[in-house]
Amino acid sequence: MLAFIIRRFAGLVVVLFSITVIVFLLFFATPGIDPSARLAGRNPSPETVAAVKHEFGLDRPLPVRYGLMMKRLFISRDLVSYGNQALKVVPAITSAAPVTFSLVLGAAVLWVVMSIAMGLLAVTFKGTVVDPLLMIVALIGISMPVFWLGEVLNLITQDRLHDTFLFSWVPPLGYTPFTENPWQWFLHLIIPWITLSVLYIGFYARVLRANLLDIQNEDYVRTARAKGLPPRRVLLKHMLRNSMITFVSLFGLDFGFLVGGGALLTEVVFGLPGVGRLTFQALQQLDLPVIMATVIYGAFFISIMSALVDIVYARLDPRIRPS
Amino acid sequence: MAEPATELSLDPAAVLAAEEHEVAIVGRSPWYLAWRRLRRNYFALFSLVVFVAIVTACFLAPVYAHQVAHTGPNETHSAETVIVSGKPTQVISGGATYDAKTGEFTVRAVKILGPTWWHADGRFVLGSDNLGRDVAVRLLYGGLNSLKIGIGSAFICTFFAVLLALIAGYFGGWADWIITRFFDLIWAFPVLLLAIALGSALSVNGFHHFGIDIEPGSLWIPTLVISYVLIPYVGRPVRGQVLSLRQKEFVEAAVGSGAGPVRIMFSDLLPNVASTVLVFFTLIIASNILTEAGLSFLGAGVRLPDPSWGNLIASGQEQIVSAPWLTLVPGIAIVLTVLSLNIFGDGLRDALDPRAKVRIEH
Amino acid sequence: MTSKRRWTWLLSVLALAAGFSLMVAAYGVAANRTKAAPKQAHKSVGTLKAVLDTIDYLDPQQAYTGQSWWAMWNVWETLLTYRHVDGPGGYKLVPGLAASLPSISANGKLYKFKLRKGLKYSNGQAIRASDFEFAIKRGFLATGQGVGFYTDIAGAKAFAAHPTAGGDISGITANNAKRTITIKMAKPRGDFLTILALLFAAPVPAGTSPAIHNGNIPASGPYRIVGYDPNRGFTMLRNRFFKPTKNIPRGNPNRVEVSLIGDANTATQRVVSGSADYSNAAIPPDRIASAKNRGHLILRKTANTYYFWMNVNVAPFNKLKVRQAVNYAIDRKALQTLVWGGLGQPTQNVLPPTYPSYKKLTLYSHNVAKARQMITAAGAKGANVTVWTREVSDALTAAQYYVSVLNSIGLDAKLTTLPRATYYTTIGKRDTKAQTGWARWLEDYPHPLDWFDVLLNGNRIVDQDNNNYAYYSNKKINSSIESLKKAPVLTDAVNTRWAAVERSIMKDAPWAPWSNRVFPEYFTKKMGCIHIQLLYGIDWTRLCRK
Repeated sequence: MLAFIIRRFAGLVVVLFSITVIVFLLFFATPGIDPSARLAGRNPSPETVAAVKHEFGLDRPLPVRYGLMMKRLFISRDLVSYGNQALKVVPAITSAAPVTFSLVLGAAVLWVVMSIAMGLLAVTFKGTVVDPLLMIVALIGISMPVFWLGEVLNLITQDRLHDTFLFSWVPPLGYTPFTENPWQWFLHLIIPWITLSVLYIGFYARVLRANLLDIQNEDYVRTARAKGLPPRRVLLKHMLRNSMITFVSLFGLDFGFLVGGGALLTEVVFGLPGVGRLTFQALQQLDLPVIMATVIYGAFFISIMSALVDIVYARLDPRIRPS
Repeated sequence: MAEPATELSLDPAAVLAAEEHEVAIVGRSPWYLAWRRLRRNYFALFSLVVFVAIVTACFLAPVYAHQVAHTGPNETHSAETVIVSGKPTQVISGGATYDAKTGEFTVRAVKILGPTWWHADGRFVLGSDNLGRDVAVRLLYGGLNSLKIGIGSAFICTFFAVLLALIAGYFGGWADWIITRFFDLIWAFPVLLLAIALGSALSVNGFHHFGIDIEPGSLWIPTLVISYVLIPYVGRPVRGQVLSLRQKEFVEAAVGSGAGPVRIMFSDLLPNVASTVLVFFTLIIASNILTEAGLSFLGAGVRLPDPSWGNLIASGQEQIVSAPWLTLVPGIAIVLTVLSLNIFGDGLRDALDPRAKVRIEH
Repeated sequence: MTSKRRWTWLLSVLALAAGFSLMVAAYGVAANRTKAAPKQAHKSVGTLKAVLDTIDYLDPQQAYTGQSWWAMWNVWETLLTYRHVDGPGGYKLVPGLAASLPSISANGKLYKFKLRKGLKYSNGQAIRASDFEFAIKRGFLATGQGVGFYTDIAGAKAFAAHPTAGGDISGITANNAKRTITIKMAKPRGDFLTILALLFAAPVPAGTSPAIHNGNIPASGPYRIVGYDPNRGFTMLRNRFFKPTKNIPRGNPNRVEVSLIGDANTATQRVVSGSADYSNAAIPPDRIASAKNRGHLILRKTANTYYFWMNVNVAPFNKLKVRQAVNYAIDRKALQTLVWGGLGQPTQNVLPPTYPSYKKLTLYSHNVAKARQMITAAGAKGANVTVWTREVSDALTAAQYYVSVLNSIGLDAKLTTLPRATYYTTIGKRDTKAQTGWARWLEDYPHPLDWFDVLLNGNRIVDQDNNNYAYYSNKKINSSIESLKKAPVLTDAVNTRWAAVERSIMKDAPWAPWSNRVFPEYFTKKMGCIHIQLLYGIDWTRLCRK
């Protein structure tokens, strides 16, 4: 087991290192990435441009530039953006991360609760009209582009029905930190939470339903039934608990993916200044230091979560432990 | 609990599969059996029909543009007047006006011609956009682009993913380690971020290496980007299947009889993963259409003025309050297409292998 | 499971849902009620809450956006400054830190200033004459964005080649005891006074490090900046060491809280909901009419020109007829509606109408048929044209319209879009050979040289970071610009000569200018005393509440 963990983490380091190299090469091969002309202002003399180049180490060979950037990112932690030198990269990420966390955490609670409810309802009402209806709703949820859903919800809650009693509580787009005003934090995030979670509710409900149906004929479930336990108890205590293994591992991966910047579209649509939007803005400006930092941040979360899921899974289910 | 005779279920194929245990099915190929199951899944078949109809409509875009709407996807008619139900209506009217005498502006909203349905001789059936272009024409051309990208990248992605999975699964060892790390690498990169990064990196000068020339603005850029980022989603599970097949007796027998690796990979292993691959292929088209929409929404997919469903939504959202159809129409098109593909893909999976677990991440 | 139990399940779920929606509804009603409560009217502003689009720096030697200058104008004073008045008077240079306008030698190469008595920074330190030279040197040391403006000072080029903290710019001499500053030019420069009024030349305390400061350099104006976070905002407080003058008032707000929000919709919403007093976000055309009803909308005319340039070195735009045809083909009035919902004035001029040199040109009246004929006559029918634009909503809209216009007159046009950050560098590179595309120019300082010399003087074409995207070079025009460069004051005669230059340029049609945009400035209905300074926009120092 220990060897497995070590190997998994060694692989993680290799992956993270390769990602930084790839991002670096990808963007230094892009024309126009060289920020010296931008930083030197609108009427730059060649000397000024050269001076800026030197200041940012852009006149050095590629491997040295890579090393310098990594050093300033991880060791001295004073890497600044190419677009705005007043913007330090590390604080920019640490101030954007709580927004992303707030968004993903709330959505996760919502999608776990809702999808379990939907999955259980579907299984309970299998054979009636409720089951296919729920599953169609779930499928529609999976088939909607999240940014489109967000736009439509914005249209309804911010404009069309904003002045009715239904949605007059919806605050303007944006974010209020929890520490500043917890109630406003909550209000600002309700619609984004719903938007982000719709896809996952649909997805998890379907997975859970399939899983529950798979195991309903397993021996231990039949034994529990034969003992005369009430059906609801069998469903909740025996079947649901067992299905949670798949559920939790899926959840780990998706959570890592979203925290790592996957909630980008939702953040953009709702004007939430999270990590995804930060990356998006950096990409629009080809601001390499910020891109680098956010991609490392994202890759780190995704890799950590997938490694954790592997390890937990291996612990729970020895059959799949790799030799 | 007795199953009702006419069960309302989304996976009748599974029920059929269960029934088949009791029926003699000797001597039938698995593909025939799958077809038999699928044939009775009306819901999935209906979805297939819807999808084929959408594809056909999009491929007929030039016909619609010339014969019905009499305009191209990028032609603006902002200053024109259209006869709607016998009433002349300006395509774009209103807007602030400037009074040169007082030097003041009078603010008024811009009015964009909404859907005329069939009251304007086929012109502006779904309304106009902010530049006076026919939304219906742009929707069809946009669908054409979105589908080309979705289906094209599904082909490319599946091809490379299966190839890599076969190599990794057959040879194992170093080949497997490298390929798995490669999958990890793509996996660890948030899909959209990588796609945007590649999209914007290639959008400036295109790609001109290794004898391949791709111009910036080409449809190939989003197609290749999407197929690249989705490789691990298909590659990983297929590799797992190949790995377990590799241990089976029939493969060992083929190796023993002196068959070469290429032959074993393609004539022994590939047919056994084909059904999984087919299901993935269907579902991945749906996922690709969504990814394309997301990319174009962020400005890293299909380049304006060429339409795609994603960039139609993106440009439409700027007028969402005054002209909501610009956002709603392409969005509904996406939902219908993706939904029909998802339902059909589900049915296909149940028909081919009711126990398969196929998962696509958007 | 029995069917009875099934129904209880379903019912309880339904009940829960109903309860939830009732709660929501109840809250909605409550929220409506609180909104109706009237607020007491005030006269003084107290704290002004403003929302700005993202800015670059709050460091006088570094900042180069209108947004930062809007705030910094009242934080760091320059030797000369502009008056806090409405209308054309706002372009008039008046003494700032200087006691009076400088004396200028007859050859335009020597400027003599004297500082006012008793000037102090916000930390109590005295403002000395030598701080001016220090600020210019600091600009070079920090490779600030504005240093290009100051290279004509004698010795500046030598200093710029090897900038050191201990070095000296020979052309600037200061006498701290007598409070005098003397500036010697290497060559005369007609716009030098306006360049001295740029914030790049604002004196800062000697010893301030060249590293970028986020607003924490001691202020010399009526306000000082605290707590700048590039992602969130900053606050401006009164500078208690500041003494108002005739030209620099004390300012009404006691405190200004600025939030930085990039998204125009979000920014506008802040004002609508009353959580901010003012926003200068570019309200999307879609929402401008509804914004007008919910707040106080001011449309501000600023010095800007939006235009399509045509590269005169590349076919088919090397033909005069083709360039003129494009000018005829564009429906300038329609473009205002399509791109900014009508909030712009059609133009055929290079200069914006706010300039004293401006003389309205009407060379090209909209005529597509004529344009089509001219293209055919020039033998350019079917010529391939690539239109360049940047990925910003308004530029994309304008360029898409432009492509469709070019196609309608017989050219074969397609669009290439570039990210905002790389656009100007790419089209400003000679090798790109960009044919035609979108561009705009916003003034740096109010002088025709900032337009004709920078954008259309053929002698200033360079291989990289070129601003003359049309690569327009006409010997006669070039020499006119060079000779007008030497005139230090914009007299009526000088203005007439500029207008003549503009007319001959537009007859050559290297550009198709199409708009002078107006910018929405948005206030809550409670704000009053709204004044516009031509150069710096809304004069927030004069705001009051109704």
